[in-house]
Amino acid sequence: MKSIFTPSTLAMALLCTAMGLGAWQSASAAVPQDTLMIGKPSDPQTLDPAVTIDNNDWTVTYPAYQRLVTYKVENGKGSTEVAGELASSWTTSADSLTWEFKLKPGNTFDDGAEVNAEAVKFSFDRVMKLKQGPSGAFPDDMAVSVVDPLTVRFTLKAPYAPFLSTLAHNGAAIINPDVAKKAEGADAYLSNHTAGSGAFKLVNWQKGQALTMEQNSYYAGPKPTLKKVVVKIISEASVRRLQLEHGDLDIIEDMPEDQLEALAKKSGIVVGDYPSLRVTLLYLNTQKAPMNNPDARRAIVESLDYDGIINGILKGKAKPLNGPIPQGMWAYDEKLPAFKQDMDKAKADLAKVSPKVSNLTFMYSDKDPNWEPIGLTLQAGLQPLGVNLKLEKLANASMRERLGTGDFDIAIGSWSPDFADPYMFMNFFFDSKLKGLAGNRSFYDNPAVDKLIRESASTNDMAKRTELYQQAQKIVLNDSVYAYLYQKAYTLPMSEKVKGYVFNPMLEQVFNVGTITK
Amino acid sequence: MAFLNMLRKRLGGLLLVVFGVSLITFSISHLIPGDPARLIAGDRATDAIVDNIRHQLGLDLPLYQQYGRYMLDLLHGDLGTSIRTHRPVLEDLQAFFPATLELALAALTLSILVGVPLGVLSAVYHNRFIDQVARTLAVTGISTPAFWLGLGLIVLFYGHLNWLPGSGRLDEGLDPPRTITGFYLIDSLLAGDTGLFFNALQHLILPTITLGFVNLGVVARQIRSAMLDQLGEDYIRTARAYGLSKWAVILRHALPNALIPSVTVLGLTLGDLLYGAVLTETVFAWPGMGAYVVKSIQSLDFPAVMGFAIMVSFIYVLLNMAIDLLYRLIDPRIGEVN
Repeated sequence: MKSIFTPSTLAMALLCTAMGLGAWQSASAAVPQDTLMIGKPSDPQTLDPAVTIDNNDWTVTYPAYQRLVTYKVENGKGSTEVAGELASSWTTSADSLTWEFKLKPGNTFDDGAEVNAEAVKFSFDRVMKLKQGPSGAFPDDMAVSVVDPLTVRFTLKAPYAPFLSTLAHNGAAIINPDVAKKAEGADAYLSNHTAGSGAFKLVNWQKGQALTMEQNSYYAGPKPTLKKVVVKIISEASVRRLQLEHGDLDIIEDMPEDQLEALAKKSGIVVGDYPSLRVTLLYLNTQKAPMNNPDARRAIVESLDYDGIINGILKGKAKPLNGPIPQGMWAYDEKLPAFKQDMDKAKADLAKVSPKVSNLTFMYSDKDPNWEPIGLTLQAGLQPLGVNLKLEKLANASMRERLGTGDFDIAIGSWSPDFADPYMFMNFFFDSKLKGLAGNRSFYDNPAVDKLIRESASTNDMAKRTELYQQAQKIVLNDSVYAYLYQKAYTLPMSEKVKGYVFNPMLEQVFNVGTITK
Repeated sequence: MAFLNMLRKRLGGLLLVVFGVSLITFSISHLIPGDPARLIAGDRATDAIVDNIRHQLGLDLPLYQQYGRYMLDLLHGDLGTSIRTHRPVLEDLQAFFPATLELALAALTLSILVGVPLGVLSAVYHNRFIDQVARTLAVTGISTPAFWLGLGLIVLFYGHLNWLPGSGRLDEGLDPPRTITGFYLIDSLLAGDTGLFFNALQHLILPTITLGFVNLGVVARQIRSAMLDQLGEDYIRTARAYGLSKWAVILRHALPNALIPSVTVLGLTLGDLLYGAVLTETVFAWPGMGAYVVKSIQSLDFPAVMGFAIMVSFIYVLLNMAIDLLYRLIDPRIGEVN
């Protein structure tokens, strides 16, 4: 048999090995100082600001576009108040129906075209015409008109107090109208590209791998220190962690609690806890017996071990709530006491319910790993009261369907605001017009509360609005519409080299890459 | 003629399979609870917005019309538009599938290159030390979760030794080669860029070992058992009696015969590798079909799920056809008998 190890094959193998070694490089080169590497678990779905409602997409869209207003930064902290971004000033008519915005001159899109009133009109008309998720943030009867090249007018049919805040929403991005001339059409183009006037623009998207953003050379604001921002898609949390420890990533998102604890002990890594406005609550179905009885709902609220949930399950990375409006949002009532477990009261309230409550179901999904232990905590709290709580775990899509139709006794969910207004909590949670998935997930119906919250939404007087919301809060707390569990901290591990990150509770997963340094 | 007949039959079967798969996937997608329009619009959207999206997607039509529309488009080579990514499904599959196929083929190559010699050696040195080693390796391969092995390899070779990259197909900052086959190894060589080739190769090593290790054991055990059968046959004794050397008998006579049943296993192995790549892709942030399909299922993105199911069924049928053809190449008598 002829051997394959002839002199010529051996020489060939040696040559190949030598070539290989020459081309072989170290597994990882250090990330350049002017590049920020962000690691996240999933690829964006679409980059069209008029379509996306997912904060995961906003990591790219928010810094690529500008809006008429933006959230203020005070002492290095994000605020719920807005300041002009593309707008230099604005005026409101006495009836709050007409809003006129003056644009700052000299702002340009990333192709050098001017940002003017036509672009503002184009962007908002497009959002309202597409009628996708982001359009829900704005009044649907809103009309936009161009007064002059640098003045734009919004006309509403009914007063809408949160209007100014909604203009800082990702959906309010001002888009370059030239996208309409793209061969594939504006919609297809915008789902894969950015066309804004923000500090950065998307230059490359390798699907499922990475998105690369570079400085927008036409950006009118202060020149960013970073030259490049790369968003790497790494679905496995432990690999994200390893790459952060290794210096290949600067910021990583969406880490489980146990990994955060380990990361916090590593040198060179900072795990930041930021006070978010994301609240977790139990929906108590006010339309279905026995939860339609306020005493039954009160018993649930009183039997919950709030301390155990916050310190045991959440490992202290959350704050207790004292009502529907979380701390950090204006109209928050600090005088209200935080919820506490009181088994005697729970027993007394449950005794008032007839017929006797002996079985209840708790519906949850796999979306949040904390939901199951919370269900078990409630189960343990109700057991001494003679109530058997059945835990029902569903796929998230199925749970949403059931939430929408009100087919549950008790369910759990999280909620975070899209814009900085207590409207996001009070009106969404309690308005009888928004029953179901839209917001009022306890199916609460109280004309007195409807009147108070609707009145608050139609006036621009902040003091009056606060008073109206606080009056409504007292009623809904007495009715035990929801069980308010906690306000979770937003946790973000990053390299200690990263400086100047500003967290804004309305903009989770959005990074102020225009001002971050490394 | 017999060959053409077989081809005709198989192609007819292919159409039936695609029809069946499309019907089943379509029915399942529409039977499971959940509303894709609501998922796109977001929980807070009003019913008017959700209805508008449902109308845009054609989800307000009766089911038979939706299916009819889908099949009509399919006949024109259009797999529809993904509900989640808003891109044509075909474009998404073209972007993600080559990465999965490159990884699966690399893993298959590894399984064959290591598994076949290991199987042969185990059979030849039956119940001796090398057989014990091969058996241990095979059992370990079959019983090691890809997830665990992948993470272990990353911690060692990326975390501690820094020899190999921990994720992705190329280093950050490198542009992929111009797409010809979609395989970075081949495309970078076609572009004459050896630097890119070696970078892609570095990235491919750990995922290939992770995915290939499981099937390596399967291949080795299959070859071992087939070889043992062959080595006990009379013709082997006759060949030895004619004075042929031990290895000539093993490699020229026993192995080709042992390969026939193994080809079936290898063909199905590729199918398993394509399917099994999902976990490996997750660990190594490999931009293949895995993450795409899982996200599509979670988002009730039925055009994407159906597109994937149809493509996979297509590949399975084609693989089986290829196996039949391979049989004929390895042993021409099979074609004659048929």
